[in-house]
Amino acid sequence: MLEARDITYFYKSKKDQAVLNQVSAVFEEGIFYAIVGPSGSGKTTFLSLLAGLDTPVSGRILCSGEEIQKKGLNYHRSHNISLVFQNYNLIDYLTVTENVKLGGRKNAEELLSEVGIPKEAWKRNVCQLSGGQQQRVAIARALCSEAKVLLADEPTGNLDEETAEGIIGLLKKTAHELGKCVVVVTHSRRLAEEADEILELKEGRLKMR
Amino acid sequence: MNVFQRACRSCIRKPVKSILLLMAAGIISLLFLSGMASRSANIAAKDSTRQAIGAGFLLENNPENRSKRLSEASEKIAELYPDGVGSYGGVHLDKITVNGAENWRTRTDNSFESLRMDDIEKIAKNTEGLSGYNVTTVPTAVKPGNFTRIEDPDTDQSNDFQGVTLIGNLDMSMDSNVLSGNVTIKEGRMTNREDTNVCVISEELAEENKLHPGDTISFHSVEAEEPVQEVTIVGIYQVKEKMQPYMSGDTFRSENVIFTDLHVPEKVEQDDPLYEKAYFKVADVDDYEKVKERIKETDIDWQRYDLIDNQGNLDTMAENFNDLESISNVLLLIVAGAGFVILSLIFIFWIRNRTREIGILMSLGISKGRILLQILTEAVLIGWMAAALSLIAAPQVTRMAAGYLTDQQVQQAELSKEQNAGKVATDYQAPELTVTSVEANLTPEMILADFFGITGLILLSVSAAGSLILVRKPRDLLSEMS
Repeated sequence: MLEARDITYFYKSKKDQAVLNQVSAVFEEGIFYAIVGPSGSGKTTFLSLLAGLDTPVSGRILCSGEEIQKKGLNYHRSHNISLVFQNYNLIDYLTVTENVKLGGRKNAEELLSEVGIPKEAWKRNVCQLSGGQQQRVAIARALCSEAKVLLADEPTGNLDEETAEGIIGLLKKTAHELGKCVVVVTHSRRLAEEADEILELKEGRLKMR
Repeated sequence: MNVFQRACRSCIRKPVKSILLLMAAGIISLLFLSGMASRSANIAAKDSTRQAIGAGFLLENNPENRSKRLSEASEKIAELYPDGVGSYGGVHLDKITVNGAENWRTRTDNSFESLRMDDIEKIAKNTEGLSGYNVTTVPTAVKPGNFTRIEDPDTDQSNDFQGVTLIGNLDMSMDSNVLSGNVTIKEGRMTNREDTNVCVISEELAEENKLHPGDTISFHSVEAEEPVQEVTIVGIYQVKEKMQPYMSGDTFRSENVIFTDLHVPEKVEQDDPLYEKAYFKVADVDDYEKVKERIKETDIDWQRYDLIDNQGNLDTMAENFNDLESISNVLLLIVAGAGFVILSLIFIFWIRNRTREIGILMSLGISKGRILLQILTEAVLIGWMAAALSLIAAPQVTRMAAGYLTDQQVQQAELSKEQNAGKVATDYQAPELTVTSVEANLTPEMILADFFGITGLILLSVSAAGSLILVRKPRDLLSEMS
């Protein structure tokens, strides 16, 4: 589904120090992946490259066998992947439903019900929701898209254990029941344990655990 | 959710940024409208000034040449008359005894002092580009016959003729007092070149004597009570400001000035006519210099005359109003420049505060162009609302701005006129009243131009500020916001 081939990346200010060095990986639909590693190991950078938010110095990212830059990174972000961030990243002047509708054309209300947002909150401004609820809205927005890949960067980083459990459950459901490819970058051991496959980034290399 | 829907929601639900832009755009719009209205008001005022003053040339006797002619005539008399007493060319030399002592006296008569009518007519007939001409007599003191003049008990009457003043005009509509806008007809009409034995009297004189157009008044000369000259009143005039007395005493005060047809003064005095000045009106102000050249080509004795540019005030006023027009244009340019800077700063502020939102939209696959389009839509919506709101206050503000600018320029014109006093020999006064009553009106074209101007400024400013986004990678924006 989504493939990284020989990805190398370094910052312009530190050209001698590669963040990612010849990293290759294949992510399949219906599988929940967790990418772990110490801080600064390049997890978020790798996720950004997979999401088309940045471009690798060398190597290629392919989606369904096609290089993502062929149709453009905007197209890749709007059609191939959906993103969930640690700090939810919802638009503060839109309501819950309007935020979900930004993700795509699916029925926003249905998705909000699925992720457990009560109906009375749908017309509220997102800033009036709790952190856990905001992350659920962010996941609903990601699911609203037709994309087959959901990329999440520390989705439980700002949440308490109980709320994090709910989010982990949602992500597993997304992979196993909706058949999407879910790739999560996390520090959370609890979250990583729930993944079908765990990949570890260390010193610029990606290893299967 | 499309760009327009997002833009509307952002405008309404994030009111602080919207109000900031609304205020800035409103002020810019108001200044735009004021500038445009002032500029058009200036043009209107200038045009009316041109019409009021007109352009023309004044023909007067040259004082140096007069002295020369006087001495030549005296020499000729000495040649012709051995005892030195005699007359030649309107100059009279005789001996008078004052306090027992014999003195020579030189007198000139009207034939010597007057402009030559044949020269005036030659200029008028031979010069292409003139729309008309007028001949004005010297203010002539005569005594009233069947009416009483306006008296002022406080005025020194020791040297007064106890009379009234006649000013004869070939065409009164081109008299200096009329051209300046000071004298206007209250009732009846002015005298014209077809008239004989007619006059126009002041409203004060008419009221004092219960006179109306159609009535007849009579005069006789200061020196003899006969013959009596009867003239018919054809009009009653009024003045904005009292005319300056030509000499001391009530004879020469403003209310006692009577405008007549050209020949009444000579008939009353039973003497040759004394034409003091001739005015040649230029048909097209733009042809002024060409007409001047043509006049000078007329075959007359130019040593005898001064051809005076009677455009001095017009030049001064036009210069000042051109300045005013320039000031309005500069004001518009400054508003446009400052508006661009202010709006750019506001949009930079907007964009910097919306980095998070822009990053989120980019992560959702919305292109930079569409994000900029959303910001532009928001800005244009608010800008148009500001322009519409500014229309409420615009009439008052434009009147104030136009009034202020005009006052400044009228003061400048006055200053300039004072500095140039004596340089231009003319009785003509700039019609300040015409200028100060300037009106600044907003036209649909101005309102349209204002909307276009605001939209253009917003487009430029958003483009300039938007370059901050266009050069950055989505990841940079996302990492900045997280």
